[in-house]
Amino acid sequence: MIFKRPLKSIRLKMLLVLGAVSLLALVVSGTAMMFNDWRSHREVLVGQLNTLADVVSRASAPALSFDDQKAANENLALMAAAPAIKAAALYSAKGVLFAKYIRTGGGAAALPKLPESDGLRAAGDSLVLFKRVIDNNEILGTLYVETINDQKDRMLASLEILLAVLGASMLLAFLVSTQLQKAVTGPILAVADVARQVVDNRDFTLRAKTVSQDETAVLVKAFNAMLDELERRAADLETANRQMAQEVVDRGLAQEALQVSERRYRVLVTTIAAVTWVADTQGAWNEDVSEWTAYTGQRKEEYAGLKWWQAFHADDRATVAQIWERNIAEPLEIVVRLWHQPSGEYRFVSVRAVPNIEGDGTVAEWIGSVSDIHDKRMIEEEVRTLNAELEQRVTVRTAQLEEANHELESFSYSVSHDLRAPVRAVSGFSRILAHDHGHQLGDEGNRLLNIIQGESVRMGALIDDLLTFSRLGRKAIQPSLLNMQDIASSVLHGLTVQYEGTQPTFVKGTLPSAYGDRALITQVWTNLLSNALKFSAKRDQPVIEVGAISEENEYVYFVRDNGAGFDPRYKAKLFGVFQRLHDATEFSGTGVGLALVQRIVTRHGGRVWADSVIDEGATFCFTLPKEVADGRN
Amino acid sequence: MDEIECVEILLVEDNPLDAELTMRGLKDEKLFNRIVWLKDGQEALDYLYRRGNYATREDIKPGLILLDLKMPRVDGMEVLAALKSEASTKSIPVVIMTSSQEEKDVVKSYDLGANSYVVKPVNFEDLSDVARQAGFYWLAINRRATR
Repeated sequence: MIFKRPLKSIRLKMLLVLGAVSLLALVVSGTAMMFNDWRSHREVLVGQLNTLADVVSRASAPALSFDDQKAANENLALMAAAPAIKAAALYSAKGVLFAKYIRTGGGAAALPKLPESDGLRAAGDSLVLFKRVIDNNEILGTLYVETINDQKDRMLASLEILLAVLGASMLLAFLVSTQLQKAVTGPILAVADVARQVVDNRDFTLRAKTVSQDETAVLVKAFNAMLDELERRAADLETANRQMAQEVVDRGLAQEALQVSERRYRVLVTTIAAVTWVADTQGAWNEDVSEWTAYTGQRKEEYAGLKWWQAFHADDRATVAQIWERNIAEPLEIVVRLWHQPSGEYRFVSVRAVPNIEGDGTVAEWIGSVSDIHDKRMIEEEVRTLNAELEQRVTVRTAQLEEANHELESFSYSVSHDLRAPVRAVSGFSRILAHDHGHQLGDEGNRLLNIIQGESVRMGALIDDLLTFSRLGRKAIQPSLLNMQDIASSVLHGLTVQYEGTQPTFVKGTLPSAYGDRALITQVWTNLLSNALKFSAKRDQPVIEVGAISEENEYVYFVRDNGAGFDPRYKAKLFGVFQRLHDATEFSGTGVGLALVQRIVTRHGGRVWADSVIDEGATFCFTLPKEVADGRN
Repeated sequence: MDEIECVEILLVEDNPLDAELTMRGLKDEKLFNRIVWLKDGQEALDYLYRRGNYATREDIKPGLILLDLKMPRVDGMEVLAALKSEASTKSIPVVIMTSSQEEKDVVKSYDLGANSYVVKPVNFEDLSDVARQAGFYWLAINRRATR
């Protein structure tokens, strides 16, 4: 990684920078100093040599002009005072050596044989100077001086010093940089260290510490801010990762569910449909439909393309073609007859097709099924036939019933009119007989006549009750909310006003209102209360109690008396027409009253029943539903 | 009483026994002597409008009509409808005397303008009472109205 060797890198750079800068400064300044030293030293050297040569040449001029070799050598010997002079010589104007000085042990080179032109030149370790000796514009000769050239040694010595200074400087620079690193690179390296830890440990909670207040503090702050950001991003990333992982799991489950569903679908398809097929937009089959072959016996080359429709019954092909030609992108279903090879007959099948619609709304293909519904269809037809027959029978029966009803109505009418007429005649004429001829009949004759009269009256009453009963069966119930309290009270009042026996004690409970036909329910109360009155008449103190109990769906009303009661064994016969549990001589009545009560209550959707202990009284109950009775029981 | 006696009562009844009983009931009181018995609706209409056998009868308007409903040829309802729609006979009080207790008969009779509806009781005495009361009541009302 890029932070692999950060410490060395930065340190080295620091060191290199400091070292290079110091070195460069020292080398440049040292070189400049050395050059300056070398030049000034040379000038001094040349100046001294020229001055010496000038002095010697002036001093030697007379010796030359007088050709005095001895004086010339003495002059040259003066050179011994200058230790740098290695050798000196004087040449005559003719270029012949005239005088010479050679320092003993000076290491002087051999004297040149001939003088050279004026000038200064380096020769090996020495400087060599030639100078004309001139006097009064007359060249007398030439002076030669060889002197030690110590510039090289001097340069070497300077170089040594320079190198020593350089070494010391580099050491110093190293020390300074080590110290500087602590102050300058320390914080940076700390940041780098934290960065490395963050990277190595993936721990974004670490933070670099601010040590100084300079630009590194800004760097540390920025770095920490970046870590904050990184930490948040990392957390976000982790959350996103977790979500994605969950999503992947979910997708996996969904995928699995899809596969299960697909498998099921495939099984389902094979179980419910005899044939499944895929057709292009024109209805042509291009794929293998092996079930089709199994069903119809058509091989692929026989059904491929649009030829499959030939397997349908000739009469149904037009229907199939018509449906296809409609060309509507909607699911369709038709029932047609299809050739069934195994049984060798046409069977009813349900052909379903669903368009496979693409994203842009166009139909890509049609997917369909063919299911054998022959048996079902046959059964349905049978059911339909049976239903039609049944309906026919019901119609006929209803008509018969209506006729019977009509007949019954005319019968009742005849009964009311024609049956009563003879009874009336018997009653009337026996009365006239008694009135006009009673005195001729004697006691026994009158007694018999009375019986005829009484029985004809009873006959009339029976006919009337029977008519009432039959009329109730036909009368439509007109329900309204009835105040049972008022009805029972007024019925009771009506009965007791005419009553001649001992006035009974009445115990009246609360009677809730209920829905019913006013006239009919009034009849119920009338019959039950008059019964109670009748059967308790022989008590010293008759007690009649009325009340009601509210059940979940109905009200139970009851009438209780302390009268003769009845044998509970004959309970079932109590409500039959003309059923009487008491002797007619004991209690009068036609035996229609309770039958009427039952008929009315039943038609209201209620029930009636009674309980009794002989000689202790009876309780008669009837119920009325809390919901409105529809009256068509 | 004379006034009542001279008033004619029309009894329209197909059953001769019922007719005899009714007439006897009315006559027992010796109040209504002029009772004309007509055996069916057709005869009643002929009598009222002086047609057929009755074309030559004296033109006396009956004071009360006791009308049975169920009769051969023309029944009571038809007679009632006819005479209540005719101006000359409209004001004659009509009492329906019948065996029928059918509600539809009662309603229809009153709809057609019957003045009273009486169900014939089986008991002879009751029947006489009904006939007498009806006679008294309607004759009295009628007398007052014609005065």
